[in-house]
Amino acid sequence: MSRKSERLVNLTIALLATKRYLTKGEIFRSIEGYEGSEESVERMFERDKDDLRSLGIDIEVGGLDPLFNDEAGYRIKPENYSLDLGSVNGEDIALLSLAAQAWKGQALNDVAHSVLLKLQSMGIESDISSVPHLAPRMAWASDELATVLDAITTRNRISFTYLSSDLAHENREIAPYALASSAGHWYFGGLDSTKNSLRTFRLDRVLGEIQSIGKPDNFEIPSNFDLFASMNESSHSQVAVLDIRKDKAFGLRKMSTDIEDKGEWERIKLNYSDPSSFLDSILWYLDDVVVIEPPDLQKQVIEALTLLVKNHG
Amino acid sequence: MAKAKPAPIIHTERLLALVPFITAHQGISLKDLAAAFDVTTKTMNDDLTTLWMCGLPGYTALELMDLSFDSGYVTIRNAPTLKAPRSLGMEEIVALLLGLSLLKDSVNENKDLVDRINSLATRLGEKGGIAAKFSVSNPVSSLIRAQIIAAITEQQTLSIAYHSLYNDEFSHREVKPLEMRIDGGVEYLFAYCYKASALRVFRIDRIESLNILDNATDQLMDKQTTASDGFYSSLIFSSRLRLMKERFDLQDAEVNQETTIHSFSKQWIVRSVFASSGSADLQAPSEIRAEIAQKAQSLLKRYLALQKI
Repeated sequence: MSRKSERLVNLTIALLATKRYLTKGEIFRSIEGYEGSEESVERMFERDKDDLRSLGIDIEVGGLDPLFNDEAGYRIKPENYSLDLGSVNGEDIALLSLAAQAWKGQALNDVAHSVLLKLQSMGIESDISSVPHLAPRMAWASDELATVLDAITTRNRISFTYLSSDLAHENREIAPYALASSAGHWYFGGLDSTKNSLRTFRLDRVLGEIQSIGKPDNFEIPSNFDLFASMNESSHSQVAVLDIRKDKAFGLRKMSTDIEDKGEWERIKLNYSDPSSFLDSILWYLDDVVVIEPPDLQKQVIEALTLLVKNHG
Repeated sequence: MAKAKPAPIIHTERLLALVPFITAHQGISLKDLAAAFDVTTKTMNDDLTTLWMCGLPGYTALELMDLSFDSGYVTIRNAPTLKAPRSLGMEEIVALLLGLSLLKDSVNENKDLVDRINSLATRLGEKGGIAAKFSVSNPVSSLIRAQIIAAITEQQTLSIAYHSLYNDEFSHREVKPLEMRIDGGVEYLFAYCYKASALRVFRIDRIESLNILDNATDQLMDKQTTASDGFYSSLIFSSRLRLMKERFDLQDAEVNQETTIHSFSKQWIVRSVFASSGSADLQAPSEIRAEIAQKAQSLLKRYLALQKI
């Protein structure tokens, strides 16, 4: 193992240090480890180039001499190889480190660990003094998050099996555009080509593995795509008026925009956007919440209660 | 799962990352270096031995990196080509953008900090040519987590404002935090509760606020939890199956198929059936079934009275 990595490190150093393109001949003669028949050395070099590129190292191919343009040469430009975050100070380093630490023990743990090592290698002391004491932690996600992320960055299409609202197993194929997390769940969205529309999926409703399909650079991500905007497109916010018993229904009270004291009860105003899940959360609080407005919501509560009485009577 | 990198590639990546890291931490101990890279000291020693053989073509003492580590402390000289950390990969940039978005969500009242985070995110996004926006939030507050972690390490007592969803009760408790654990993606705090004089488990996302108390009212802690075996209920689902599966934490759900559920809280099952607004019918136990019918009936009466006014 170390023979191969030693050769890769030496190749990187040589290609980085050179001011001009190095030909294969020069590389084979000067860099240690290219031994064997001409054919096997060639194959070794092709693989090494692919391996370095898989690490994100940009190897440029260029002509050696415009007059004798017969042999290609290789080099790595230091400005492409090295980290350049522009002018950053200790506070920026502290914020970036916190951002990476949020992934500790989570789906992108390894990616974030390598970021942290890079930040710590910049020689800029992290300055946490102006940043509040924070311990951020990402919402839990399965390892499939890494696949979706990889597909977004390489612009690969993905296919997966999705649990529909009636628990049917649906096969989906999308061009993934973005990732987001809200209320403890991860969502990803993109263009569903068979339905030709933008769709959003909850990661924990994906069954089994997400497969990356086709070739990279398969699509363009529209610059104005906003996952949450597309999720909430259909629903517009409505105002509800509820009576809630004092010291009860804390979850609803937290959302209120206005509270009026009415003795044993309080009358609150709040905004909601998803009528179905709002109805569920009102019913959760049993007889500690009474809907006053809007009338259609009150009607839905009455229907649900009638059904509950009928089914349990 | 994203494709795993082959071992020599991971090894090369670590070797390339080691040079700038040691350059920025001259004289670091072998042990600390191994810990920073999350490998054993034996592996780190092997890595350094490999690096020691690397350098510019020619590979004489002049061209090789000058690496010293046999004293247990590591220094590096003569490694100008690799001394800067490598540029960020796409995945790394996105991981940072997601992390920054979460930070912004935690400090949204501090305008200076939000501006600073936005400026970093814009720069990173441009660097990676990433146009997509990322929006990340977590019901668990980063501030509250930080205070809990500090209280656990410092062995301090906390006063917490806790909302119990099942009982729909808001309570203030003094607790001695012991540890944080994750179960099914939800983060919990295990703490000794002075009010209950027993070990209690709190969902961290339901802790609304907390204070660290200076004078801990330390008592003898009796780490006994009150064990309960729970009970079984039988339910029938008629619609919205995915929602029912997630709400009742089922392996699977089928229309009109009787399903048995194990739970510890009667409150929870009554509320969950109510919140399913007709999609779930509880068949047994009969006393809970009767309670649901009675509660729904009395609430219905109140609504009907309201409509008559």
